[in-house]
Amino acid sequence: MDLFANLALGFGVALTPMNVLLAVAGVIMGTLIGALPGVGPASGVALLLPLTFGMSPTSGIILLSALYAGSMYGGTITSVLINTPGESASVVTCIDGYQMALQGRAGPALGVAAFGSFVAGTAGVVLLMTMSPLLAKWALSFGPPETFALMLLGLTTVTGLTGDDALKGYISMVLGLMLAMVGFDIVSGDARYAFGINEMADGVDFLPVAIGLFGFGEVLAGAEGAAKMEILHAKYGLRDVMLTATDWARSRWPIVRGTFLGFFIGVLPGAGPTIASFLSYTLEKKVSRHPEEFGHGAIEGVAGPESANNAASAGAMVPMLTLGIPGSATTAVMLGGLMMWGLRPGPLLFEKNPDFVWGLIASLYLANVLLLILNIGFIPPFERALRLPYTILMALIIVFCVTGAYAQSNKLWDVGQMLVFGVLGYLMRKLGYSPAALVLALVLGPLAERALRQSLIISDSGLMIFFTRPISAVLVIAALAAVAVPLVRALTDALRRRAVVPA
Amino acid sequence: MRLADQVSGALLLVFGIGFAVGARRYPYWTPHGPGSGFLPLWLGLTMAVLAAALLVGATRRAGPGGAWLPGGRAFTRLIVVVVATALFIWLMPWLGMAPGTFLFLVALLRFLEGHGWGTTLGVAVATTTVNWLVFMYWLSVPFPIGVLGF
Repeated sequence: MDLFANLALGFGVALTPMNVLLAVAGVIMGTLIGALPGVGPASGVALLLPLTFGMSPTSGIILLSALYAGSMYGGTITSVLINTPGESASVVTCIDGYQMALQGRAGPALGVAAFGSFVAGTAGVVLLMTMSPLLAKWALSFGPPETFALMLLGLTTVTGLTGDDALKGYISMVLGLMLAMVGFDIVSGDARYAFGINEMADGVDFLPVAIGLFGFGEVLAGAEGAAKMEILHAKYGLRDVMLTATDWARSRWPIVRGTFLGFFIGVLPGAGPTIASFLSYTLEKKVSRHPEEFGHGAIEGVAGPESANNAASAGAMVPMLTLGIPGSATTAVMLGGLMMWGLRPGPLLFEKNPDFVWGLIASLYLANVLLLILNIGFIPPFERALRLPYTILMALIIVFCVTGAYAQSNKLWDVGQMLVFGVLGYLMRKLGYSPAALVLALVLGPLAERALRQSLIISDSGLMIFFTRPISAVLVIAALAAVAVPLVRALTDALRRRAVVPA
Repeated sequence: MRLADQVSGALLLVFGIGFAVGARRYPYWTPHGPGSGFLPLWLGLTMAVLAAALLVGATRRAGPGGAWLPGGRAFTRLIVVVVATALFIWLMPWLGMAPGTFLFLVALLRFLEGHGWGTTLGVAVATTTVNWLVFMYWLSVPFPIGVLGF
């Protein structure tokens, strides 16, 4: 079987001592990043990207994807113990997880999250492994119009789902695309919007923007009020996190449902772990025979969402690897990393860089095993790390932001860029704009522009080319629908208010 | 929030129009298809429309809405952190990376957050050393060397 030959190749890559070490480092740092409130997986990946420059792309992606998987586990610890989500995909875990902790059942809450995450994470990789090659093969037939249509769909769905305010989400996206226009145009050589500044002619670099918006921006949002956290005291020895037979019986099906729901939500462009966990919670409450227990420490309310967010983080890798379209903010940052390492994400990746793709897949299996061990046996050290004062953590993250922004190009200009985008990221968060949409647009912008121009060159009917080819027509119509619904609502709201005043 | 939306809407409107006007300096269409000014023009116009919608929507909104910037001490902290980071970056070519990192951490931890000297120096020395080892020694990133010679 092809699949097993490929998997063997992958494990050959993933099990070299250096890569195993990186996977261990990745899951530990990921768990920490997930557990610490105020640093999410996207910031973690952006902050660690500069460290990967000294490595091969395969080692780099192993570190980053182990970190992503770890952050999904780590967010749970904070949700259960201090009722503050460590990252957005663990928000719903607070509801029943914290209630369980209050009833003295913090151990089983963390235990079911770890087991569920393991089952879902592993099943997610199996699905990723079997689906991706098929999808990549299908995507090989895509021409420029399909590529552009797909990017349009990715951009519009991510934007529509990330913010509370759709209009501001689209503004963020367009701003990201505008920033992507700055600098040399590959076709004509024009230095667009450079104003005679050499650094501007090189374009707006992705890494300083990502580090600024996510790393520095998040720190600033936290800096204005370093909150005191109350950590619940509980026992989490090996025996305490074990589940009773009743717990198992109640969590079995939520884990299975969360896995499949999470994975397929994750595959959709634009819907990542956070949405998956919310949907899983809603689903479990609906199918439960005792919905009244939800909100008062129902173990299903932890098992389902925690499984779903892990499966979704595996699912989100599918469109990133096969189509070059990230499904979430974190995979958008990873995609930027892939391009910086000189890889071209997309269907050809499976053919041209099999050691990279299969090494990554094999390392995800490894990461899930490592995380199960870590989250069953080693909760106390992580709980202790949570006691690190935010004031110290903040200072360390800033140093890391500055170092990381400098390390890529060795230019202070980039560090300045990081600072500017950090402040911008803070303002965007405060005002309800979407930093994730901006970064995604900045990453996809140059690729989308090239696909658009190539499409219009081969077209003899202008923009109609996007509607005359069946695949691109479906994708473009889906993309337009994703924009139209919330935007028309926002515009009519604005106009209705205007209509009150006679023109 | 209403005022903030009006201001950001107005700024983005001007930015969008300026971007579209700027795009006219690059060819819109060439014999080989769309030129380098094609997408920028449409992006600028799209931004202008979206920003106008935001501006109108915010202006028609009843009531000023809640404050969005923190006040008092929290705001001061925010400014101090941004200014300290800016100084850290600006002085780096003169001071050097390692001494800059050390001083930045001391300034933030001791004088802004009020940690004791023990904690402050411990964290500052450890971070500076690890940072130096990883980036300068292992990844050989050529960080600025300052007046102190390291």
